[in-house]
Amino acid sequence: MDCETARDRFSSLWERELSPLEEKSLKDHLASCPACGKEFEQFEKTMGWLRSVEEVEVPEGFLSELQKKIESRKGGLPGAEPGGRGFHIPPSFKLPAQAAAMVVVVFLVLYLTKMVPIDGIRTRVTPPIPFPLSAERKSETMLTQKETEKERGALEAGRPKGGEQVHPPVPIQKELEEASAPPLKAESKKAEAPASSVGAVGYKAVDSNEAAKGKPLSPEPGRAAREQVIKERSAAASESPREIVLRVADREKVISPLLELVKRFGGEVVATEGDAFLASLPTESFSEFEKELAGFSSSGKTDLFPAKKDAAERSRFEEGVKKEEGSQKSQGRAKLAAEGGNRSMIRIRLVEK
Amino acid sequence: MIERCKAGDPGAFAEMVLQSQKKVFNIAYRMLGNAEEAKDMAQEVFLSVFESIKDLKEEVKFNAWLTQITLNHCRNRWKYLKRRQYFRTDSLDDPVETEDGSVPKAIYDPADNPEIHLEKKMIQRLVQRGLLELTEEQRELVVLRDLQGFSYEEIGESLRLPEGTIKSKLHRARMNLKEILERSSH
Repeated sequence: MDCETARDRFSSLWERELSPLEEKSLKDHLASCPACGKEFEQFEKTMGWLRSVEEVEVPEGFLSELQKKIESRKGGLPGAEPGGRGFHIPPSFKLPAQAAAMVVVVFLVLYLTKMVPIDGIRTRVTPPIPFPLSAERKSETMLTQKETEKERGALEAGRPKGGEQVHPPVPIQKELEEASAPPLKAESKKAEAPASSVGAVGYKAVDSNEAAKGKPLSPEPGRAAREQVIKERSAAASESPREIVLRVADREKVISPLLELVKRFGGEVVATEGDAFLASLPTESFSEFEKELAGFSSSGKTDLFPAKKDAAERSRFEEGVKKEEGSQKSQGRAKLAAEGGNRSMIRIRLVEK
Repeated sequence: MIERCKAGDPGAFAEMVLQSQKKVFNIAYRMLGNAEEAKDMAQEVFLSVFESIKDLKEEVKFNAWLTQITLNHCRNRWKYLKRRQYFRTDSLDDPVETEDGSVPKAIYDPADNPEIHLEKKMIQRLVQRGLLELTEEQRELVVLRDLQGFSYEEIGESLRLPEGTIKSKLHRARMNLKEILERSSH
């Protein structure tokens, strides 16, 4: 007998399962092979240890604890079966319910992404610009983009961070361009002044006006406002305000009579900015008004500037107008829009000597 | 008794628990190496029995069925504990934490001999640690055969293995345990 065979029979020898002949043969090998003999000694010791391991007693209160557990499971959740561990939903219902829940989540996400403009979706449908823009129109478009970005920034302020970076809203730009294309073309013939910031003022005015009327916001609140901006802008651009520089000795003293004069001529001050006033006047009374206005000037005359001559000053003024209170602007612009072409815009700038 | 358990007799169920609890608890304790875990698991076993005994078809095979449930619970529990790297082995005679501090467990020792008691305790610990180093299947075989004294037939019924396979696997398990105990006792 070889060592491997002998060692394979240790268990059989220990359990006395070998035939007398096999047992004698194995014992002979163990007596003649010290290594196997030692191995068997260790084996016997291990088996002795195993057999010496006593059973442990069950902890006290085992049965009573078990009975409590059974009671608590019996009086478990309603609908729980005795074999269940709590509320049990059959798999035949569970899977369709999960699928339906997934569909609802997907639709909810789609609905929300439609509600709130997402740049990722817009950039996919970027159209080419349909017609060449003049330098003025380009700058105007850029300003409009800035406006829409601002608006979007306000919208996205409430959304969780970590999303995509804000990109120019191309489809909206497209909408703007498409909607404004005909008036812009006409406008470029009529007036040279872009009046882009006036447009921005108008846009804001429309928004707040709408809010003041209590109109519910559409799912795309910026869209209607932007369309209105385009209309306002083209209207405002077509009636570029004349500018009158009034040289006065004391600016403060002149302001209230000036306002009264405007009222007297059936006009109204639409916006104020420090030393300048933007007023709307009936066109027919404009020349009379100008004469009266000359009386305010310490030098007895006024400087009349067409809008295009002082573009820098004009833009500065428009910057100031932007800062005006929303309500004042909105009312003024709304009236302007309502009255249309019967009125003229005039900007009166007071310059102290 | 099994008939009455199936019929929902609480007295018969309690009787069955009292008859089988020691076996179930000991298998659980040797398989998991922790008395607290073993107690919880043994109760889970009886809860399973309570809930599914009505489905038992062959009442004569109740013991094999109970052993199967116990081993299944042990396997699941072992996996759970292994995932949480829970390998602490305690002994029933480890000190017990009480409000007054740590006190030794009162273990009845018939010999009442501290030396014999210490040696026994040491062997018990060595064997338990050695068992936990075996594979799950080897541990099951050693526990059922050498600690619980199951016959090969009973083991075959519980593990659904032929006797020859059980014998050869058991022998390998014993030889492994021998190696482990040799290493740990030196």
